Amino acid sequence: MLTLYDYELSGNCYKVRLLLNMLQVPFTARAIDFHPVREHKSDWFLKLNPLGQLPVIDDDGLVLRDAQAILVYLASRYDESGRWYPRDDAAALGKVSQWLGFAEGLTTTAGAARLHDTQFLDVDIGKCRAGAHALLRILDEHLWFAEQEGQQWLCSVDHPTIADLACFPYVMLSEEGGVFRMPYPAIRRWGERVKHLAGFKPMSGIFPAATLTPPGGSPPIPG
Amino acid sequence: MNRWFPVSACGEVAPNSVAHTQLLGQELVLWRAASGMLNAWENRCPHRGVRLSLGNCIGEELRCQYHAWRFATGSGQCTHIPSHPGQKPASTMRPMVFPVFEDGAFAWVNLTPDAAMPVSAAEGPGLNLRSIFTVAAVATVRQLLLQGYAERAVNLVDEFTLEGAAGPPLGIRFMLQPVTQGQTIVHARLRGAIDAAQRLPLLRTHNARMTAVRDRAEALSAC
Repeated sequence: MLTLYDYELSGNCYKVRLLLNMLQVPFTARAIDFHPVREHKSDWFLKLNPLGQLPVIDDDGLVLRDAQAILVYLASRYDESGRWYPRDDAAALGKVSQWLGFAEGLTTTAGAARLHDTQFLDVDIGKCRAGAHALLRILDEHLWFAEQEGQQWLCSVDHPTIADLACFPYVMLSEEGGVFRMPYPAIRRWGERVKHLAGFKPMSGIFPAATLTPPGGSPPIPG
Repeated sequence: MNRWFPVSACGEVAPNSVAHTQLLGQELVLWRAASGMLNAWENRCPHRGVRLSLGNCIGEELRCQYHAWRFATGSGQCTHIPSHPGQKPASTMRPMVFPVFEDGAFAWVNLTPDAAMPVSAAEGPGLNLRSIFTVAAVATVRQLLLQGYAERAVNLVDEFTLEGAAGPPLGIRFMLQPVTQGQTIVHARLRGAIDAAQRLPLLRTHNARMTAVRDRAEALSAC
């Protein structure tokens, strides 16, 4: 059984939980007290991950850290369709990797601003928020043109990839760090599409999509 | 303040979806019922004050994310309180509802609650460009747009009533949405028949030009 070293309020742990749910991979979540105990900096945890960061997985003895690396592994190991991580398509793979790097940028800007506001992380909050807005502008423009070209997702394939899941959490949690998303309507529509994926689960701060289908209507797939 | 302001391209708020915007400091939830009716309401649940833009569209109703109270399209009247299912909600239980007008291309809102609908011809053929959120005042944006598009037949609409604002049938139409004192959204439409093959190149070209205007306006405002 796969073990996820997990913190419920972490966006990086959440993206791993999302993919595990969407791929229907059973797992055990081992809760780590990130705040205020800082269990991720404890001696026993540093032996598991010397960087002292969450998430970490242990899949039958294979120990992996780094949320994006874990998404790559899980999709490669458990997604038989090959669509979540398109290994056989060089261009698509390049694009997915590009957005995985972008997700790391979201963690260090929008994610850091959120930890500043909710858990007293000592960072330059103005710089974090400005950095987050700079990234959200790029993301909103990319998604608006994707819609114009008939694409629903970050990378030019007709199915979401791990890039969508990697970017989703810290975008959707940004307002907890004072980064308001009103200027980014295309991001909002993309977020709704992610929420309608099979296996989607909300987390604290990320609300579910409508679950009641109106009579004679269908769930929204805007764009 | 009996004036109409643009708030969104009509197509960007699809049936069964919810959007978030702001006009002259007033936060708005923009949402379109399954039947197609577009609503612009004060973005505040009359029950506990939570942003209604966090909620979901359920057919002909908007459902608050907090306690799942439901409000009817058109009137805003509360129709259902889950904790008191047998009780008819009071007629006063509704958010402030603002008049909305759609000209076939863009949606316009008037912050005067009982304002009469404008008399305006429907938009002819054309192409909606990507709306650009700019951290600069309307006056600055207006000046730089006119400079940036000096060679074009420009129809610039801001703070006018819709009557008499039809302008030349061809060329480019800019519509300025005053978000707050220092924030403006530039909506734009190319008027006239557009060749399908030219659609994407035109969208990209004008996005680049309008983004350059945004960057100049923001640099000027930051001084």
